[in-house]
Amino acid sequence: MKYKSTLFRYSGYVFLLPYMALFCAFLVVPLCYGLVLSFFDWEMISPFPPKFIGLGNYGEALTSPYFWKALWATIRFVIMIVPSVVLGALLIALLINNVPQKQESFFRAAYFFPTIISISVAGILWRWFYNTEFGLFNSYLQNLGIRVHWLSEMKWAMKSIVLMTLWWTIGGAMVVLLAGLKQIPDQYYEAAAIDGANAIHRFFYITLPLLRPVLLFVIVMSIIGSFQVFGQTFMITRGGPELSTRVLVQYIYETAFSNYRMGYGAAMSWLLFLVIAVFSLIQFRLIKER
Amino acid sequence: MRNSERGTGNEYPGEQQEMKTPGKMIVLFILGLGALVFLVPVVLIFLTAFKPDAEIIHFYSIFPKSWTLENFREILGNPEEIPIFRWFLNSVLISFMVTSLVLVVDSLAAYGLARLHLPGRKWVFTMIVATLMIPGQIFLVPVYLILNRLGWLDTPLAIIIPAGAGAFGVFLLHQFFLGIPRDLEDAACIDGCSRLGIYRHIIVPLSKPALSTLGIFAFLGSWNDFLGPLVFLDSVDKYTLPVGVALFQTSYFAEYGLTLSACVICTTPVLIVFLLFQRHIIKGISLTGLKE
Repeated sequence: MKYKSTLFRYSGYVFLLPYMALFCAFLVVPLCYGLVLSFFDWEMISPFPPKFIGLGNYGEALTSPYFWKALWATIRFVIMIVPSVVLGALLIALLINNVPQKQESFFRAAYFFPTIISISVAGILWRWFYNTEFGLFNSYLQNLGIRVHWLSEMKWAMKSIVLMTLWWTIGGAMVVLLAGLKQIPDQYYEAAAIDGANAIHRFFYITLPLLRPVLLFVIVMSIIGSFQVFGQTFMITRGGPELSTRVLVQYIYETAFSNYRMGYGAAMSWLLFLVIAVFSLIQFRLIKER
Repeated sequence: MRNSERGTGNEYPGEQQEMKTPGKMIVLFILGLGALVFLVPVVLIFLTAFKPDAEIIHFYSIFPKSWTLENFREILGNPEEIPIFRWFLNSVLISFMVTSLVLVVDSLAAYGLARLHLPGRKWVFTMIVATLMIPGQIFLVPVYLILNRLGWLDTPLAIIIPAGAGAFGVFLLHQFFLGIPRDLEDAACIDGCSRLGIYRHIIVPLSKPALSTLGIFAFLGSWNDFLGPLVFLDSVDKYTLPVGVALFQTSYFAEYGLTLSACVICTTPVLIVFLLFQRHIIKGISLTGLKE
């Protein structure tokens, strides 16, 4: 036991060293660096060195119609997708929770399956589904004499993205919720059944309250993820029509890596971070306090 | 872990009779219909890739009328224009390296945090886990500039090394290591095993389930990663499959037979991993979702 000297105890940090080196280099440093960067005007391809402009980038973003348009597109997407994913996943999880073990694993795997497809493959696939001339959807709708411009009409474009995202992501939320349902002890339901509670009572008085922490987790993760939507719009609509589906991450991507305005891109990343933080906090408050 | 008492599942008295009959059949029917909606699109990738273009443009049926390998012949036989084999190798190399890096680095760190009474480890662990809540987009621009400074842009290193910084694996393994009984280590300690020895001969062998779950996640994550390779890789022959396939789509815009056969090549490895390790994957997702 002589070994347990202070030096020996600290030497255990050697185990942490490789990870902490990466953690610092690619998480902590970039986080701070990005914040500093956001106060500079820096065009990477221009010969001028970065110039400190204080809150200039933030001011530019907040007065730019393009920023607001991108933020609005993002929020529209979040407002449509988060409730659909959470409610849809909850419904599927509740149904799957009621079938025998064998079918349960099959259904769980089936609904989860699309989430492991790469976004570029999923995007190409759905782009074909949505194609106006020979897309799968319109081939069937044609028989009814309907032709929908899924991607080129303002009123449909974002909804098409949402529908595809629903297919692509609902399985992940469902699996977590289903695991949460499994943790609720059966005794509670048994007791309630003896007291004559019907399915609706059981859902509202047992399932929902006991599922709340898991539900909160799923909602917050879904919000954080949805605000960062990029692949879908990049692959399927490229931000069109008339920039109505150009979401913030795509705008940041274009600002930083097509126009090489690094400072402005970093500033918008931080603004998006703030928006996400505010939404997540509101969510925590709403659910925790009830 | 109360669910050990759960017994056979949901068949508690009263409910059993109530659910066995039509109600249960309706539930199964609805679920089956839904499962079709979720699975058919993926099946369509595979079926459509074997269709001649004419059949894609005029859609008759889900199954090809005449099966053809023409699409595959065209994308595989054109390495100058479509270096799909190269992309495949890049993807394999990157995913393999990311998986190895994550497993080694994360398990060492998680062992240190869970087991060695390091001063300040609570604080360090909290800090690591807190980064899980930070949206990843915020790192895009600064990491790009750091990689640029390091001269790693447009090399596989740009994708591999930053992937080792993710906190998910440390968190997952930390939680798992906490559940391993200490007695084993104490016994090894008395036998004079070093800490590295304990890690190698006790912790790692006992953590195979958690390590394989993490390995599968790391593999799938890096195989499917899109934004990273899109931003950090520049030349066509450095691309990974998803980015290659995505950019290829822009030039072969209307040739869905071609693009979908590229999708088949991109999806098959993931499909195999999923079919083999489906249980692991789903269990891993459930655990991390529950333990917050």
